[in-house]
Amino acid sequence: MKKDQNSLFLKFWNKQESGVLLATIAFVIVVVCINPVFISKNNILNVLRSSGYTLITALGMTLVFISGGLDISVGSTLAVGSTVSAMAAQGGLPVAVAVLFGCLAGLAIGMFNGFTIVRLKIPPLIVTLGTQYAGRGVVYILTKGVAIYPLPKSFQAIEQTSVMSIPMIVVIGFILAVIAHVMLSKTTFGRSVYAVGGNIEAARLSGIRIKGTSIATYAITGVCAAFTGVMMAARLGSGQASSGEGFEMTVIAAVIIGGTSATGGTGTILGTAIGAVFMNVLENSMTLMKISVYWQKVVIGLILILAVILDTSKRERAMRSEMKGMGNKKA
Amino acid sequence: MAKRRLCVKEITKVFPGVVALDRVSMELFEGEILSLVGENGAGKSTLMKVLSGTYPYGSYEGQVMIDDEVVTIHNAQGAQRCGIGMIPQELNIQLDMTAAENIMLGHWPKQKNSLIDWKQLKEAAKTALAELNVDIDVNVQMRSLNASMQQLVCIARALVQKPSILILDEPTAALTLEETENLMKIIHKLKANGISCIYISHKLDEVFEISDRVIVMRNGCVVSDYQKQEIKPNQIIADMIGRTVETFYSQTDKAFSEEAFRVDKIVVPHPYAPNKNIIDGVSFQVRKGEILGLAGLVGSGRSELLRAIYGALPKTSGDIYIDGKKCINQDPREAIQNGIFMVSEDRKFDGYVGSLKIRENMTLSILKKISKYSFIKNNSEKEIVKKYFDYLKIKAPSAETSIMSLSGGNQQKVILSRALATNAKVLFLDEPTRGIDVGAKAEIYKIINELAESGLSIIVISSEMPELILLCDRFVVLRNGGIAGEFLKCEVNEQVLLETAALSIQ
Repeated sequence: MKKDQNSLFLKFWNKQESGVLLATIAFVIVVVCINPVFISKNNILNVLRSSGYTLITALGMTLVFISGGLDISVGSTLAVGSTVSAMAAQGGLPVAVAVLFGCLAGLAIGMFNGFTIVRLKIPPLIVTLGTQYAGRGVVYILTKGVAIYPLPKSFQAIEQTSVMSIPMIVVIGFILAVIAHVMLSKTTFGRSVYAVGGNIEAARLSGIRIKGTSIATYAITGVCAAFTGVMMAARLGSGQASSGEGFEMTVIAAVIIGGTSATGGTGTILGTAIGAVFMNVLENSMTLMKISVYWQKVVIGLILILAVILDTSKRERAMRSEMKGMGNKKA
Repeated sequence: MAKRRLCVKEITKVFPGVVALDRVSMELFEGEILSLVGENGAGKSTLMKVLSGTYPYGSYEGQVMIDDEVVTIHNAQGAQRCGIGMIPQELNIQLDMTAAENIMLGHWPKQKNSLIDWKQLKEAAKTALAELNVDIDVNVQMRSLNASMQQLVCIARALVQKPSILILDEPTAALTLEETENLMKIIHKLKANGISCIYISHKLDEVFEISDRVIVMRNGCVVSDYQKQEIKPNQIIADMIGRTVETFYSQTDKAFSEEAFRVDKIVVPHPYAPNKNIIDGVSFQVRKGEILGLAGLVGSGRSELLRAIYGALPKTSGDIYIDGKKCINQDPREAIQNGIFMVSEDRKFDGYVGSLKIRENMTLSILKKISKYSFIKNNSEKEIVKKYFDYLKIKAPSAETSIMSLSGGNQQKVILSRALATNAKVLFLDEPTRGIDVGAKAEIYKIINELAESGLSIIVISSEMPELILLCDRFVVLRNGGIAGEFLKCEVNEQVLLETAALSIQ
């Protein structure tokens, strides 16, 4: 027992998040050596800002993954949130109402995903692939393919401000992450999310609301993605139908790299936050190193697969060592 | 004397820590129907898996001889070549394929261009079904057939290979009475064609009706062998149990007063045979502090009955009363709120959540109780966890340990804690000591007795008859979806319970 207290290092090492944190730091060091531009103030703010966007959607995605689900519609949901809020702002509605409309549109998509998956028992991959496609269509119908422009200054201001020179999106991302962390680790809802993803049958027999819990994770993800879209519209000063294409990839990769299990049951918000930073450091540094966007796609795709392989092998190892443990106890 | 088809000599099969088959020898003659009976774990299925190649040659000691020649069976194909066809208890069928494709599975005839010859395939399948006098359209999808039709398709599939020996493992588990009679006719027809059958069933009535010979197995050994004219049901049951049990247990001097729990005419549809009820109008009651044993054979619907009452399986009709108050129990959540808790038989499948710690597993059903505005109060959670951790003497470094690193007995204690924390009035325990070592078993028995003394009403299911008799004050025996008998502790022994569960005439 004493050993445990002494070895702070071991404690750190055993944390899920330590691996990806160390990988991020090591990666940053390499990048800085190759291209010192990386640590310029502007570039760091850029990385943080884009991490903020990834993170806000990834928070919802973390809940979905822990509860054993999957949502690949977030890119389109982002675009819906972006165009709906932009149209509302352009139509002269107050900024708060425009933001609310954007988020409600996301809630509607999330609820639709959740109900269809849980009540009608359709695989999440199929349902969210469908809403991804349909959502994108809706956006093009709403905008007729033309950017919604210009937007009122007051609307743009929600993103284009900073607190003590920290971009607004980073501040909001941080606050939402803290809320999500508390929700997951301190509330009955969070406990239910872990239980449903860990063993849905056991959760059901224990009286957990398995359906409500799953639907809620999709609804929250819808709102998160749409809010990300609202912020993006404010940043760009226009609502664009093409925004968020391929966004689901970055978000899912951030969640998985952050140590959340692809099969449900485990994961943390801290891990996801580090994962979001890692993904954006990766993308940013590849751009600085003048790696083409096409090659970036190849790298990100392969990194996602690698992360899942590591996660799977870790789980298998844990299972084997536990089997051994049980054998010892019997003997 | 008929020709000897199969001869098994001195087969011994050892699993880590268990001798599943101990120098088993048996013979099977041409056109003979031989039944294998024995309690769960007697070694019947293991022996059949040796014959069907599931356990390959070399993983056991001893010899298998077919038509007086030693054979080595390495896999299912090998068994087929030796003329052994097997219809396993759980049908291995492709639900989305047609009956014809299933019958010819693995032997699809090919055209010269190596595409499947559908015409020939369907013809062969039709012939196979016609031989059984079965009228099924071979183009119909397996999924749309009911359980008995699926069973017949499996028999047809086995017969296409022209076996000389057919093994049927619990073939009537999902069949209705009429369908069972039809199956019996088919088996008699096979016998007339010179095919030898090995028939495994828990339903002793069927066994006595159809068999030319009965072999009784117990603890991996063949204990007795009876010709048709020598069959005495009571003797066979005594052989299965292993000793003639004369002694009855003394009645407990416990006195029960008020009724705590009652169910009335519960009907539960069969989970995979759509036209059949697995439980058909069962009523019973339990008094405060009483332990009721639910006995019955595998497939008698014991677990399904409790699951339906708990809201974990749909029920067609029936009423549930707790302390005289009627409850619906739409789902387990509602059942828990009404004061029932069920500890399921398979801890890994639907008992514990492996990714959670002991603490989190314990409080899974009382999240509302330990939280305020849906925030979990750490102190009240820890207090409750400590209480049960100490009371049940769980052996783990701390309550923060992963539940997967515990032994089976300690995992079971954690799930018991989860049940007790809900302050349930009625506790369902489905196989409470499965996969638990002897020491922990005794502890669990002690806990169950203490709980009953404190006023909890408990219903126990166990396949181990001695365990059930030891624990319970009263017994309800299920058979064919109904109650076959009710006994007090002073009226039962293993023989009585097994006879009631297995025989319709006594």
